[in-house]
Amino acid sequence: MLKRLFSERPLRLPHLKPYVPRPSDPSIFWFNSERNDIVSDVVNRICSAHEPDRGRLEIALNDAAYHEIRRLEKQRDDEARDRLGYWRSMIRRIGKMDDAEQKRVLNSIVTTMAQDVAGNFDPRVYGFARQAIPRMIAGLMEPRRFTKGFTMPQSEVLSRVLRVQGDIEHLNHLQSEGSLVFVPTHSSNLDSIVLAQALEVSGLPPVIYGAGKNLFTNPIISFFMHNLGAYRVDRRIRVQLYKEVLKLYSQVMIERGYHSLFFPGGTRSRSGMIERRLKLGLLGSAVEAFTTNQVRRVDRPIWFVPTTINYALVLEAETLIRDWLTEEGKARYIIEDDEFSRIDRWVAFFRKVVGMRAACIIRFGEPIDPFGNVIDDKGASLSPAGETLDPGGYVERRGTPTVDAARDAAYTRELGNVLADRYERDTVLMSTQVVGHVLFRNLVQQTPGMDLFSRLRLRNEIGINRKLLVKDIGEARDRLMELERNGAVHISDVVREEAPDALLEQALTFWNGYHNATAASPQDSDIVVGDPSLLLYYQNRLVPFAERIADSGQHKAACEIEALGVHR
Amino acid sequence: MTLRVGVLGAGGFGRALAMASARHQHDVVVWSRGGRDLPNTIAVSSDIEAMRDRDLIFLAVPARHATSAAEQLGRVVDGRHLVVHVSRGLIGEDLKTITTVLREQTAARRLGALAGPLVADALADGRPSGAVLGTRFPEVTDMVREAIGGSEMRVYDTTDVTGVQMASATVGFLTVILAYAQGVGADAGPLAVMATRGMVEAARIGATLGAKEQTFLGLAGLGDLLAVVAGDDRLEARIGRAMAQGADPRHA
Repeated sequence: MLKRLFSERPLRLPHLKPYVPRPSDPSIFWFNSERNDIVSDVVNRICSAHEPDRGRLEIALNDAAYHEIRRLEKQRDDEARDRLGYWRSMIRRIGKMDDAEQKRVLNSIVTTMAQDVAGNFDPRVYGFARQAIPRMIAGLMEPRRFTKGFTMPQSEVLSRVLRVQGDIEHLNHLQSEGSLVFVPTHSSNLDSIVLAQALEVSGLPPVIYGAGKNLFTNPIISFFMHNLGAYRVDRRIRVQLYKEVLKLYSQVMIERGYHSLFFPGGTRSRSGMIERRLKLGLLGSAVEAFTTNQVRRVDRPIWFVPTTINYALVLEAETLIRDWLTEEGKARYIIEDDEFSRIDRWVAFFRKVVGMRAACIIRFGEPIDPFGNVIDDKGASLSPAGETLDPGGYVERRGTPTVDAARDAAYTRELGNVLADRYERDTVLMSTQVVGHVLFRNLVQQTPGMDLFSRLRLRNEIGINRKLLVKDIGEARDRLMELERNGAVHISDVVREEAPDALLEQALTFWNGYHNATAASPQDSDIVVGDPSLLLYYQNRLVPFAERIADSGQHKAACEIEALGVHR
Repeated sequence: MTLRVGVLGAGGFGRALAMASARHQHDVVVWSRGGRDLPNTIAVSSDIEAMRDRDLIFLAVPARHATSAAEQLGRVVDGRHLVVHVSRGLIGEDLKTITTVLREQTAARRLGALAGPLVADALADGRPSGAVLGTRFPEVTDMVREAIGGSEMRVYDTTDVTGVQMASATVGFLTVILAYAQGVGADAGPLAVMATRGMVEAARIGATLGAKEQTFLGLAGLGDLLAVVAGDDRLEARIGRAMAQGADPRHA
């Protein structure tokens, strides 16, 4: 009951004295004063798109009622008891309603949805969170120094574990000139937390982002999410109007200059592979925000920052790969029973990563405009020939900026392809991924003709001579360094600097102390593969590079591994 | 409304596209070092700057020159320009499509590939003809139809840009093989097998690369191949016949 109260109704602190933003404050500080205006802008745009056409309006209302009745009938919870009656009664009346009533009902539904989606921003919660969260994480990492951590000005532990790469100075300059849209890869529910921390330590502005409703089921996280500008995304709702509200909310926020963040992968990469198929909905909202501003002659540039979040150890690795392998991932967008919802796994995870140098690397890639062009120091778009471009030209039709949904959808698709290429290039490969790949490639080599699922059943059956394995790791590392020199990928400092034997040893220590399953373990002069699916998860990050880092004897196995990524 | 049309290349197709556009009363500039046989209504320039103020640009150079032409074009085009190529071929060892090369070398994004049984002379003279345009941008289709379409020239469209280009390149390749086989006396049966199976296998490769198999069975693929079989005497057929007569492939 208490949990529902907190998660369903945003808990806010009382406002005794309203905070007046200063000019130097990030754009999000203005959010509360604009919130109602933003919600009504979203509602008005959706209603005015549907209202002129009674047929379209009726379809929208029927679609909303039909999907909500289906969802609530399955849910059978408090929400179902409250709302099912409303939708059942409404669906019976739609055909009999006159135009005015239909419009009223539409307005009421869309307003409720937009209010539910819209977040809140409380500068006091922001101030508290930026001080407390890094220290709490540091405390989880080093419990013996927990109390000391709170009194330290900056957490050394955290800065040792979290590394930020990229041209921060460039991004810092751009943030005051336009809207930044951070579009990271997505591996873990920790992503939003570590990314917020990376923005904080880099002096970059806080961002708004859409958080899955599952994150709001934890009352503490829900409190922070509600009050730090996050908007709620309930993936269970299949209603078309709801999708329009979400997209338009994101679009209006970007149009108004709020820096935002969304994960174009849509959900965490279940396989561990670098995302290739991106969901274009929210990406499209940013492209349309640019078009709308151009048509309204608002000169506010929008830049995308492709970002990769790279973990040596992934909190939810075991659940994610199991989900991928059983194909449950397609249906189970909301997993409430994974490691993220278990505090003991958090503690175990943070205690493990504290011993790892740069266990998480966030790499901010080169920013691009909505059409994939790179940006110079002053924020101007550049052509491949290095000429300055007017990005407004892309939305002109014979000299006039126009809104054209089909054209913008095509631009969005192109942008998705550019981001997917950038993700590959900006990925930072970690020690566990490189070692996992070499181990898995050896497993494939030793089991010719076997399919993936037969291989995954080979627990504690395949041993690889340690000396040969170390040699393979060294050679793979050398080839990855060559790829890095050619700009194809990045490798972590640990992979670059440590000896291959030490890389193997580290990977085994990290995996085996945290995950329930044993990925691999030493036995006499061999390393024996324990749970191949765990190795598969970590090695999947190297799928696009498998052929390029294999020698002729490993080529066949590398091709099989690369084929795993054909439909990624 | 008068369009400003630019054409890169004054070979058979470049000339035909320029003449078709001029016949529709558009303002046409051809970028070429020669520019032979063009009527006075068509301007010719050897300066790539002449393309800067164009609305629609046709890239009509042989595939082997497409990269260098795209590179030059990249110096003058921006997001306003719509660019459509008519080259049959893939580029380099990676077998890149020409729209990929245009994407890499220029800032233009509204791109298209015109393919199918397009006969240069028929297009130039206004005789009945048809083609398929692969583009994801409806604006590109509208503008190409405005520039060269009409009752004598039907332009179909598809969003399968990769499929159109791969099918078109496959036709070029199969044309050389079929002409060679005919030249060395192959019977009609094996020719039909080669043509059909060749297209089916190319369609499978295309599908892996994100193309639609049905595109290979449409105008850009089998449709174009029918034109070859019907006796459309194109360059690839002449190369195949020359090879059958013993010419070195590099010089054929």
